[in-house]
Amino acid sequence: MGVEMENSSSAVTVTLSAAAASGEASATSSASLIAPPLPPPPPPPLTKKKRNLPGMPDPDAEVIALSPKTLMATNRFVCEICNKGFQRDQNLQLHRRGHNLPWKLRQRTNKEVRKRVYVCPEASCVHHDPSRALGDLTGIKKHFCRKHGEKKWKCDKCAKKYAVLSDWKAHLKTCGTREYRCDCGTLFSRRDSFITHRAFCDALAEESNKAVQTVVVTAETKCSEEPKIQTVGALSSSSPPPLPPQCSVISALLPVQNPEMPNNLPPNAADDMPSNACANAISSCSSNGGSSSNSMCTSVFSSPSVGAPLQPQTTAYSDLICAMARTECPTSSIATAAVTEPTFLRLSPSNGFTLFGMAAQDERHYARPSQPAMSATALLQKAAQMGAAASSASLLRGFGISLTTSPDQQESLQGNHNAEGDSVNPIAGIGLGCAGDGGARLTELMTGPSSLFGSKPATLDFLGLGMAVGSTSTGGLSALISSMDGGGRLDIGTTLDRRNLDD
Amino acid sequence: MMQFTETPLVLPLQQTIITTTTNNNILTTMTKHSSSSFHHHLPRSSPWTTTTGSSLSFPPSKSSTIGGGTFGDANCMEQLLVHCANAIESNDATLAQQILWVLNNIAPPDGDSNQRLTCGFLRALIARATKTGSCKMLTAMANANANADLMIQTHKYSIIELASFIDLTPWHRFGFSAANAAILEAIEGFSIVHIVDLSSTHCMQIPTLIDAIANRPEGPPFIKLTVAGATADIPPMLDHSYEELGSKLVNFARSRNVMLEFRVVPSSSADGFSSLIEHLRVQQIVFADEGEGEALVINCHMMLHNTPEETLNVINMPNDMSPNPYSIPSSSSSTSSASNRTMFLKALRSLDPTIVVLVDEDADFTSSDLVCRLTSAFNFLWIPYDAVEAFLRQGKQRQWYEADICWKIENVIAQEGVQRVERLEPKSRWVQRMRNANFRSASFSEDAILEVKGMLDEHAAGWGLKREEEDLVLTWKGHNVVFATLWVPA
Repeated sequence: MGVEMENSSSAVTVTLSAAAASGEASATSSASLIAPPLPPPPPPPLTKKKRNLPGMPDPDAEVIALSPKTLMATNRFVCEICNKGFQRDQNLQLHRRGHNLPWKLRQRTNKEVRKRVYVCPEASCVHHDPSRALGDLTGIKKHFCRKHGEKKWKCDKCAKKYAVLSDWKAHLKTCGTREYRCDCGTLFSRRDSFITHRAFCDALAEESNKAVQTVVVTAETKCSEEPKIQTVGALSSSSPPPLPPQCSVISALLPVQNPEMPNNLPPNAADDMPSNACANAISSCSSNGGSSSNSMCTSVFSSPSVGAPLQPQTTAYSDLICAMARTECPTSSIATAAVTEPTFLRLSPSNGFTLFGMAAQDERHYARPSQPAMSATALLQKAAQMGAAASSASLLRGFGISLTTSPDQQESLQGNHNAEGDSVNPIAGIGLGCAGDGGARLTELMTGPSSLFGSKPATLDFLGLGMAVGSTSTGGLSALISSMDGGGRLDIGTTLDRRNLDD
Repeated sequence: MMQFTETPLVLPLQQTIITTTTNNNILTTMTKHSSSSFHHHLPRSSPWTTTTGSSLSFPPSKSSTIGGGTFGDANCMEQLLVHCANAIESNDATLAQQILWVLNNIAPPDGDSNQRLTCGFLRALIARATKTGSCKMLTAMANANANADLMIQTHKYSIIELASFIDLTPWHRFGFSAANAAILEAIEGFSIVHIVDLSSTHCMQIPTLIDAIANRPEGPPFIKLTVAGATADIPPMLDHSYEELGSKLVNFARSRNVMLEFRVVPSSSADGFSSLIEHLRVQQIVFADEGEGEALVINCHMMLHNTPEETLNVINMPNDMSPNPYSIPSSSSSTSSASNRTMFLKALRSLDPTIVVLVDEDADFTSSDLVCRLTSAFNFLWIPYDAVEAFLRQGKQRQWYEADICWKIENVIAQEGVQRVERLEPKSRWVQRMRNANFRSASFSEDAILEVKGMLDEHAAGWGLKREEEDLVLTWKGHNVVFATLWVPA
């Protein structure tokens, strides 16, 4: 809209000065319909940006009201010989000379001509009032077309419509050359190019990181009595650089954050509804556990067909996640949440950024959402309804765990590898208490990221998992079970390896 | 730059050329006459004979002034390349070397677009000679000279680099916008959309598709995106894992409030994507209950031509490459003649997709005769060179762009058997294949055509859109470049 306004105003300016110039060149006998010369061009009408409101005519001016038909008639001055129409009498007169007809051109006179102003024929329009009449005929014509006429000129590129041909032409010149700017600073002239770039640019990932972080931070500070504010502060203040490739893979296994959490939630909005954010996480957990068992089964089903050496980790992941979620109790999911959090806390200071945002966000990539059609806002609302009632207590517990363990995690960061082993155990214990096979899984959650410090990428574990899933091929439900078994076994194996390495 | 002996070994050849170039008309007629035997299968005239009676307003290609003659004339270059290919194929090392020497001098890699094109073929011919070992001397020479010059340095693009590479010309964008518009219409009313993206461009089409889907009036569907991973290294190559690519796509989709599930199925064009088909079959069985609300979209963007077709001799295939990966219950004798390309399309049909979009380059690189392939490739691949000549400056991007074309040339010319994956077929043959597989063609809507036209307006004036029956064809200076076709189960 803003652009359109600007366009139209500039177009009007041009027309006005042109009209003034032509008027000057061919001044005039009194009967003319053409606006007389206006030595200083009047301020362009139709823009709110102008200092003066448009249409503040000279009180002495002659006010002319034309009917819409007259106003819109394009060729009002018709040659009686050849029926050719002209917009201006002057042009018709010039034409008549060609037919050897009598003609009369206005001469420039020094006599002061009375100003004419024009009102809009639309009764509801502000410019219908003589006090707001517009200073020239072209101006009122364009105004009438733009505001009260049909927009019959359509831009093929962007589908914008214009009522005035000159506006449309002006738009065509700039359409497609408009700039789209990505947060990374790159400029684009084409929307498609911008969208494609935007999708793959790290700027988008960072943006969503920030949003997720903020939500998490508020959730923590509101929900727990004695929050580790320094840690949290460090988390949120660190500006995330481009993420290392391992992160996406690691984070793929965290069924914690709500897949529907809008990434573009502004920080203050998140502040306004911390309870929503909390409840959101809960709702995602419980809905994963309950409602969508169907889809989860199927993703387990589907994985056997991809049993190649280069198994995509994601498949194995989401399958296992789903399998876990199917163990039903929401607490298990929350326990997972609690356990996974320390890993971020532990990792983030060392790498100078937080894994959390990425982790949470990536998880959403791979977790099969329970209700695909539901929009982000709808889910937020739903979460709010479930909100406090549901299980804020268990969430508190979840955060409590994460907070109590985080100091250990940080110690381990500072080179104490034995401490790392210690810190795994209590959490894994809790995890086991909550969910059956999930325990093995939880160990993996802990050990997986730690391999970041080793030479082996974390993905190796998951490759192993993937093959385990693949090898069970067509087993259906048994595939589910065996994939979990396989997963657990492999995880423990890697855990042991890791510890050996650490020692 | 290759260094052949500075003094030409045999003068007659050179003299022949000089003689012919003194009278350009003679050369042209001679070239046209002699080359007609090679590309009689090409319906169109050579793209450079635009001087006479042509409706095209584009000027004929500029001739090189190297050597004071018109060596740079594309027809002349094509002839020399054909002669050279013949010499190599007939083990005539001396002749091959002489022609290569001439070509080397008239076609510098940093010359005009025709010279660059010819240089690409020159390298490919040398690579072929080296590979087959038919010309021992050449082989030795090629080895002696810096191999780095012969090696095509194909670039591994970062995602962002690839995005701007795609942006250079409508080569890919044409298919993207036509396909996206068609897909958007086809999935109307579906709450779940399964998109199988078989694209050589690594999902570069998907963001705009997601963006379009996100804005549809009835709200976005849940999108399942499946791609074939672990495919052979065919340019443009991506320097990222598909997992990373997928996470970015999912992230982007979420920013548009679209649910996206991304899945990579390791699958290879060499065996006709058999594991992908298998995966889709299992998916369909599993989702049989809710199948009603799910649209299956197969988007084939310049990837199917990598599947082996009938001219690939099955007997010569390595043992580990099963000629027929599809388990057909009937006796193998009847199916053994069917190529993987045919089998793939049949298997695709059995999945009963909502819509199949087939976009590919409109040329024929399948001939088992080298000279045929050479002329066919030469008469097609001048387009990517010519199209960027006006605006792409020397630099990294041009280097990468041309390296990818060179890779193609090399693959068509120097590779044989399963290694030769650039097996383009013209639109007519694909149409026949799709019909044989029991697909019915569907037409693009006016909106889709408007979309494509709008996209073309953003590019150079040489690009055009042609409607052939129900299909769309991208043209460059009137020559077919890429076709886009829509298919539904018959």
